[in-house]
Amino acid sequence: MNKYILTKRQVVNELSTFYSFLLGFLIALMIGSIILLIQDKNPFDTFSLMFKLSIGSVNSLSSSLNKATPLILAGLGIAIINTVKLWNIGAEGQIFMGAIAVNLIYINFQLTNSTSFIFVLLVSAFIGGAFCILIPAITKVLFGVNEIITTLLTNYIVIGLTIYLVNGPWKDPGSLNFPAAAYVGKEVYLPTIFGKLSYGFLICILFTVFAHYLKNSSVFGYEMRIAGGSEMTAIYAGINAKQKAFFAMLIGGGFAGLAGGVELLSQTHRVSTGISQGFGYTAIIVAAITGMRPIGIFLVGSLFGALSIGGSVIQTIGVSTYIADIIQASTLFGALVIQFFFNYKLKRADDG
Amino acid sequence: MNNKFLKTRNVTKTFGKLKALDDVNFNLYQGKIHGLLGENGAGKSSLMNILSGIYQPDKGSIYLDGEKQKILNPDFASKLGIGMVHQEFRLIESFSIKDNLTLSKSNIYKNDFLKSFKKYSEIFALNVNENEIISNLSVGEKQKIEIMKLIFNDSRIMLLDEPTAVLTPQETSQLKNSLVTLAQEDMKTIVLITHKLKEIKEFTEIVSVLKNGKMVAKDLPTKDVTDNQLIELMMGTVKTSTVNKDNEVGKIKLNVENINYTDSVNKIKKLEDINFQIKAGEILGLAGVSGNGQVELANIISGIERVYEGKIIIDNTDVSSKGVRSRKKLNLSYIPENRLGVGLAPGVSVIDNSIVKDYFHTKLGPHLSRNKTSNYLESLVKQFSIKAPNPKAEISTLSGGNMQKLLMGRELVGDPDVIIASQPTRGLDVNAVDAIHNLLIDQRNKGSAIFLISEDLDELFKLSNRLLVIFEGKIVKSFNTVDADINDVGLAMAGVNE
Ligand SMILES: Nc1ncnc2c1ncn2[C@@H]1O[C@H](COP(=O)(O)OP(=O)(O)O)[C@@H](O)[C@H]1O
Ligand SMILES: [Mg+2]
Repeated sequence: MNKYILTKRQVVNELSTFYSFLLGFLIALMIGSIILLIQDKNPFDTFSLMFKLSIGSVNSLSSSLNKATPLILAGLGIAIINTVKLWNIGAEGQIFMGAIAVNLIYINFQLTNSTSFIFVLLVSAFIGGAFCILIPAITKVLFGVNEIITTLLTNYIVIGLTIYLVNGPWKDPGSLNFPAAAYVGKEVYLPTIFGKLSYGFLICILFTVFAHYLKNSSVFGYEMRIAGGSEMTAIYAGINAKQKAFFAMLIGGGFAGLAGGVELLSQTHRVSTGISQGFGYTAIIVAAITGMRPIGIFLVGSLFGALSIGGSVIQTIGVSTYIADIIQASTLFGALVIQFFFNYKLKRADDG
Repeated sequence: MNNKFLKTRNVTKTFGKLKALDDVNFNLYQGKIHGLLGENGAGKSSLMNILSGIYQPDKGSIYLDGEKQKILNPDFASKLGIGMVHQEFRLIESFSIKDNLTLSKSNIYKNDFLKSFKKYSEIFALNVNENEIISNLSVGEKQKIEIMKLIFNDSRIMLLDEPTAVLTPQETSQLKNSLVTLAQEDMKTIVLITHKLKEIKEFTEIVSVLKNGKMVAKDLPTKDVTDNQLIELMMGTVKTSTVNKDNEVGKIKLNVENINYTDSVNKIKKLEDINFQIKAGEILGLAGVSGNGQVELANIISGIERVYEGKIIIDNTDVSSKGVRSRKKLNLSYIPENRLGVGLAPGVSVIDNSIVKDYFHTKLGPHLSRNKTSNYLESLVKQFSIKAPNPKAEISTLSGGNMQKLLMGRELVGDPDVIIASQPTRGLDVNAVDAIHNLLIDQRNKGSAIFLISEDLDELFKLSNRLLVIFEGKIVKSFNTVDADINDVGLAMAGVNE
């Protein structure tokens, strides 16, 4: 019989994730080009303009990296949770919750020393994100409820909560008809390193290193990997698999919450529904493309930040900003397809 | 005996290099209950799968009512009236009894379902409503529905693959009555696979024996064969290679006292009054057909199962209420029977799997640096000659033998005081088996107390100083391997006690 079957490759090239990202990105650029050609735009000109306007100057580069910061932080959180083979679809909600926590602490407490106040606010953001994933974490470990569903649902709850807050108790009368909370004071703005580049990006670098260490070199990360591989092996090894899953979820949620806090303190300066422009969802793409590797998330997140900035400025030449979204999503799609062929090969089936 | 109803001629089935069935001739007679005996891996399930059309034979043919059948597939086999109950149930758990029974298109009782359901509920002594959801049933009840499904699908030939393995003794004798009724009143032709001689004796009229894929005896009238004959056919002559057992034996390292254990899910008593001791430098074998409580016992000794009665004492320390970690600290190692899934975590790298036992010790932690873990793996690879070219590759890319060597090596580092080795050589090739045996002997000579759980009598006779036999959760016999008769051990394993 001439049947073919897919078999898993014995040895997968260690750089396969990187190659599939590159190829996926190329495929995405091609798809983007086709769409541009249909619209009678020159793809080469468009892409080079995007390139120039996103990383061509200190100013545009810092905008890109600022944009990348929440993507990277939320992506790292997703990667940490995935160490126990769980999926966090709730980063978007956690980002909002981080920002809400910052505002809650800000309007209820005042610290004279602004550096320590900023620090307290960032910690609150982290706790807010962790709090947001608490119910999915509890239901997961106690009852085995699918975390994909519960984390997704919390997004709707938290965004609903945000809408309520900015239209109700937190509504700033000064914002006229735009529903938003009042701005936080300048004293708690995250300062800039140079140009427009916020200290948030430095936090991002620190947390990338931390996530890398946690996932790859810490005992906790090791225990998460074993728990993710097989709960029975974990029990056999004396590892409390449920406890690891629980803490992994809280920490991962905290990362996304921190993203919201940083975004508030460095960019929007107030709570509104515009805190996140889908960062929590794009972060899933970033994390998945890199095979959940923190360093990769940092690099791809930076690229995606630049793409967003590039996409938003090419409106000036009459190209829709959605071209950036299309490229991001197609990169994931292309990368996953390519990765599949790295992992599997077609083999003629022997009968039986 | 009357006419042969179904027969196979020269049926051969290979899986890769392995000949699961070798030129098998097998006969079934209408309205009779047939026993099919054989050790684990003898090919019983494969033969049944061929009759029910799930596997295709490489060679050979099947005759039904004297007519040669073309290639069977499950659909065609069921049209011919051949049905099978598998070792693992195939009911749809979330459907009702009625839906499961009437699902198939070959179903014959669609219209008078209730009447037939009542009739067969009586025969099976089943006392549940037809709208009950399968997942709410006990194992014994599910078993009955499985068999009933065959009847509802109009199977004339019912192939039952180890149906009693999951039943209590009461349920088993109930099943016997039901099957006898079916054979006598409905003229059903039944094949019963079992390891228990008692059931062969009580249930069947005719018995056939498979050994290593060959039919070594067929159409024996059950009432004329003795237990000893059956055991000899099943086990063959075991080559009694043995190792020197005059090594020095020290003080008691493991003391197991009065273990009783009931499965918390289906409330079945799995272990009853287990008592034994193992001294330093001694290998105690536990013989038994798998599923008689071995896994539960190993889990209790290693600390994985925490809810039980009785005492576990390691090196004079009572660890009965302690967990896995504290037992490991007393230098206990456990090589579980389920290599990939328990002993090793699938989807995780070779290097991560190599440090499962020692990762929390200071020599590796608190930071699991690349260097330290690589060195650790490298020394394992050298010491136990493991072939693992890529440390970052997934563990399942290693061959079975190398996986087992990695698992054994990892557990033997640091010369454990007590070792539980469960089915350590199952499924391995001859060279790997020798390597594993040598590791265990070395460890014994270094003074470990070893608890060897195995189904392989050759292995048990070769390695162990003493031998216990477990049957239905009880230690039914103990032997001194030097002067034990292998057939006596086989009989005890099959549940025959004189
Ligand atoms: N689908 C399969 N693929 C590969 N090997 C198999 C398969 N089914 C059975 N075998 C092998 O064939 C042999 C006989 O197995 P089986 O018929 O299940 O034995 P039994 O039911 O007597 O215990 C075993 O060595 C088993 O590993
Ligand atoms: Mg079988």
